[in-house]
Amino acid sequence: MNDLLKKDWFGLGIVIIFGSILISIFKPAFISPFNLYVLMLSVSLMLVVAMSQMIIIAIGQMNLSVGAIGGLVAISFTGLMEVYDLSIFLSMCIGLGIGVICGFINGYITVKTGISAFIITLATLYIFKGMNLGITEAQPFYDIPDAVKYFGNAKIFGPIPFLVIIPVIITFFMWILMNRTTLGRYMLAYGNNVQSSELMGISSTKIVVYAHIISGLLAAIGGMLVVCRLQLGTPNIGDSWLLPSFAAPVIGGAILAGGKVDVIATAFGVILVAIISQTLVIFKIDPFFVQIFLGFMILIAVFINRYREYREERRNKVFSNE
Amino acid sequence: MSNHILELNNVTKNFPGVKALDDANFKLKKGSIHALLGENGAGKSTMIKIITGVYKQDSGDLIIDNNKKSFSSPNEANKSGISVVHQERNLIRRFSVGENLMLNNLPKNNFGLINYDQVSEQSKKWLDIMELDINPNTIVSELTVAKMQLCEIAKALSLESKILLLDEPTSSLSPQDTKNLFSLLKRLVKEQDVSIVFVSHKLEEVFEICDEVTVLRDGKNACVSENIKNLDRQKLVKLMIGRDEQIIKSKENQNENKENLLDLVNINTDLGHKEISLNLKKGEILGLYGLVGAGRTELIKCLLGLDRIISGKLVLNNEVIKIHSPKEALEKYKIGYISEDRKKEGLILMHDVLTNAGITVWSKLKKILSFLNNGIIYNKVDPYVKKLEVKTPSYKQLVSNLSGGNQQKISVAKWLAAGTDILFIDEPTVGIDIKTKAYLHELIINLSKNGTSIILITSDMPEMIGLADRIITMKDFKVVGETINNHNYDDMSASIMANIHE
Amino acid sequence: MKTKIPDFVKTNQFGLLLLVIVFVLLFTFTTDGFSSRFNIYALSRVVAIDIMIGLAMMVVILTGGLNLSLGALGVSAAMFGGWCMESMGIPISISIVLILLFGSLLGWINGFVTVKTGVHSFIVTLATMSIYFGFMTLLTEAEAFRKLPETFTDFGSMKLFNKYVSPLLLLSIFTCFILFYLFKFTDIGRKLIAAGANPDAAELSGISVNRMFIYCHMLSGFLAAVAGIMLTARIGAAIPSMAGHLGFDWLLPAFLAPVIGGTLLSGGKVTVFGTMLGAVLVTLINNGLYLIDVGEFWVRFFLGLILLFAVLLDRAREYFTSKNSIVS
Repeated sequence: MNDLLKKDWFGLGIVIIFGSILISIFKPAFISPFNLYVLMLSVSLMLVVAMSQMIIIAIGQMNLSVGAIGGLVAISFTGLMEVYDLSIFLSMCIGLGIGVICGFINGYITVKTGISAFIITLATLYIFKGMNLGITEAQPFYDIPDAVKYFGNAKIFGPIPFLVIIPVIITFFMWILMNRTTLGRYMLAYGNNVQSSELMGISSTKIVVYAHIISGLLAAIGGMLVVCRLQLGTPNIGDSWLLPSFAAPVIGGAILAGGKVDVIATAFGVILVAIISQTLVIFKIDPFFVQIFLGFMILIAVFINRYREYREERRNKVFSNE
Repeated sequence: MSNHILELNNVTKNFPGVKALDDANFKLKKGSIHALLGENGAGKSTMIKIITGVYKQDSGDLIIDNNKKSFSSPNEANKSGISVVHQERNLIRRFSVGENLMLNNLPKNNFGLINYDQVSEQSKKWLDIMELDINPNTIVSELTVAKMQLCEIAKALSLESKILLLDEPTSSLSPQDTKNLFSLLKRLVKEQDVSIVFVSHKLEEVFEICDEVTVLRDGKNACVSENIKNLDRQKLVKLMIGRDEQIIKSKENQNENKENLLDLVNINTDLGHKEISLNLKKGEILGLYGLVGAGRTELIKCLLGLDRIISGKLVLNNEVIKIHSPKEALEKYKIGYISEDRKKEGLILMHDVLTNAGITVWSKLKKILSFLNNGIIYNKVDPYVKKLEVKTPSYKQLVSNLSGGNQQKISVAKWLAAGTDILFIDEPTVGIDIKTKAYLHELIINLSKNGTSIILITSDMPEMIGLADRIITMKDFKVVGETINNHNYDDMSASIMANIHE
Repeated sequence: MKTKIPDFVKTNQFGLLLLVIVFVLLFTFTTDGFSSRFNIYALSRVVAIDIMIGLAMMVVILTGGLNLSLGALGVSAAMFGGWCMESMGIPISISIVLILLFGSLLGWINGFVTVKTGVHSFIVTLATMSIYFGFMTLLTEAEAFRKLPETFTDFGSMKLFNKYVSPLLLLSIFTCFILFYLFKFTDIGRKLIAAGANPDAAELSGISVNRMFIYCHMLSGFLAAVAGIMLTARIGAAIPSMAGHLGFDWLLPAFLAPVIGGTLLSGGKVTVFGTMLGAVLVTLINNGLYLIDVGEFWVRFFLGLILLFAVLLDRAREYFTSKNSIVS
């Protein structure tokens, strides 16, 4: 039981379950099919974005350009279909390709120059966003094939949206990656201690580049999912992604210094944030409170995570080398 | 065909401004434990880095098992059968022991995914060979440092290393752990066909476990593959420093009728110190001896307010005091601290000499509206910088560009300028050249003659016995002995060691 | 063989000055309208604000940290001022004092939380950015203050020196001199720099590092508030979205100016006039691109590229100078 308690996702899961029960007692509308549908949509869209940031946090870095990549891919996806009449499949592939290239640029420059990923992705944030605005001139693309619109808004059965399939599959693969593949373990090793991992023969270049490519890829998928849902490609897709992309992994117990992330807990973090936002709406509280709330939650979550690390370290301090 | 598993022949390595290795040689016989010795700056670490693939030599040959090799990365050295166990631990702390051991070769199942059952099983094999009773599923951060180190050796074995390089392996180990380690090493050499390069500055250990010795001095060999039986401590030291070891002549003790200046009464700290009681008399040099991990620097940091003192009293001039920060220690009680780690804690490497020398006195020197310019600071610190004979082209020189000895002098100068009554000095001559070392010793003696009371932490036995008036021994965050120093090396070293090994 | 190059020429600042002159000449001769009174005046107002924004970030970068909240902070302070002046009728001079105090307070919160929790200021200010902006939007109900006292708005549109320069620019330059004096000629300035360069060494040498970091954050808030005041004066109204969503619009100049100016992101080094020149350069390029008809939408792209090049150049410079230093 002690082991379960230690797991990041367990406590979070409990909070979600009890919180939901509590809310639905006061506002039964919370578990109405419609509300659950909206909730799952919101979770679907943010899950992929959270994973995109999570993998970068795993290697001990930050990716400020997740939203910019998502936005760029979103308008490219729709633009290719509208302006050049390309098929959905081809547009999608190109969109994914753009995500990969953006991620590669981020990762390659970061690892080859030794400049912090924070600064590199701050610059690319503006570069990618700039390209986005330059191409669209701040105008959305409207003309989207019906299939895309359908996928974004239809339901499988009951309140479950079609859209949820992809994020769920992605979460599954991310779990496999971080827990059962050499690449994922090497990424966590790198995040834990760059020097030790290099001495063990892990190639820093490979790790950083792959991590950023995956991050870019996920951001691209996120952008295209939003297009499906919104049924158009607007240049401001991704503008609001930065804060939640950090909030979910951090609430899920991630340590920003790297080397510790939990896929399931991050997913729970997304669910928690979505529930809170929904609840504020249901209770007719001003939506601007969400911003404030997210901010506080990040602070508290980071603080708690650091405190837990501190306690672990102290317990081992007696044995460790000063 | 030689029976050497590793050879460095006529190896030279240059860096901008310095020749680290000059036609140096090293030959490791199969199945031997071979000591590599040398003072700081002798070229030891450069040689180690060439062996382990971090550097490539400029000229000369690296031969592994009769094959000439050239490494472009530590990875390649690994593949050629060389493993290193560094001074700092290099395991991934959040991973399990098993995963760390198998990290370079994680066993997979049919889908290409990691099979953790196999990880446990295969790693257990290596742990068993080492006779280590550790569950491979244990998370590394939960182990003691000694066990972590043994796991690193297990990993080296699992990589089928034939050459094991141990860099200062006992610096964080207790005497019992050291004993365990040594018996393990002897077994490995006999049973597992491993040859060991043993790097340490603890000469007693070299005599205990090594069969051959190579000494480096100023980038060249002072001796090559000398049989340990032909050497004693004196001869070895002479090889390392080029002349006889100097027992520092110090002043006669002036302990008679000195009053207590600073008293520690039953101090217990957050870091684990238990019932520390000691006193510092005015104008004396109180030595604090102990092995790494004894808790001496930690005690000083608690006294300066950086970590919490849970209970006990601190008495200065018969007044109970509480120190909350180094700032308060300096400004209110005129206590200073010359750090152990001058590069990280003693100096601001990216700033210049004037900034570093004056940092302690800015508060005192400021004029109206906080005005302070370089001239004012210069006037105050220059006498001290000159007195210490610091060699620097100008005050604008970045401290990072100075030699180790001059850097240390600056970190001392700033405290002289501050004019402290009590000075905590922590390992003042580590990595410093002989001449500066002697200079600093004389300085410390003069300071105490002129009324500064000093607590001196040093792991350098000759230095301790030369300088201190009394020597307090610490172990495991407790005080285990106190002796008055008669400056006789054999007597004092025996008595100190007895205190530690009780 | 060795020519004596005066020290000043080797500095970053000189290179920047040259660049500025080059760009000014370039744009004057290749575009219509760059050197017009109208354009120069408009530029002077933008530069004034960008300088303050750059300085606000610079004093936090000094500590090795970041202040992502400076946009949200500046706008919140400005809105607070708008409320004071318009809704409460408080006289301008007192309102300004209140705004500055408010900005310093928000900066203090950033510093206090950073120092007491040990969490990196990036995360803390990422959080406070939304907290400050959220509260501000909530309290003002996203309504702007458009009826500010005339004296105040007049100052924003005042024209000096034959209608070329705004007094706002003079104010910014004056602030640069004050900060320069602070860092070079006062004891507290030296302490701030030492604390940022090596907190451990500074602490052991008798500096209260936590207090110094909090001061830096307070100063940042103060400067951000000044930028907020200037922006309000320039626009003639206090508008919640004037620095963009969450104050994001300020982040690019906030980073570009100090980084181009030679401030090290790792902390311990400030270049007041470098930051000033950096801000000037960024504004010039921004303006120039616009005039050459690059299209306002691509400007952001170019600025991002410039930031990238600036950091790459800085890293290259670091690499080459370290190769020449003595191995110690």
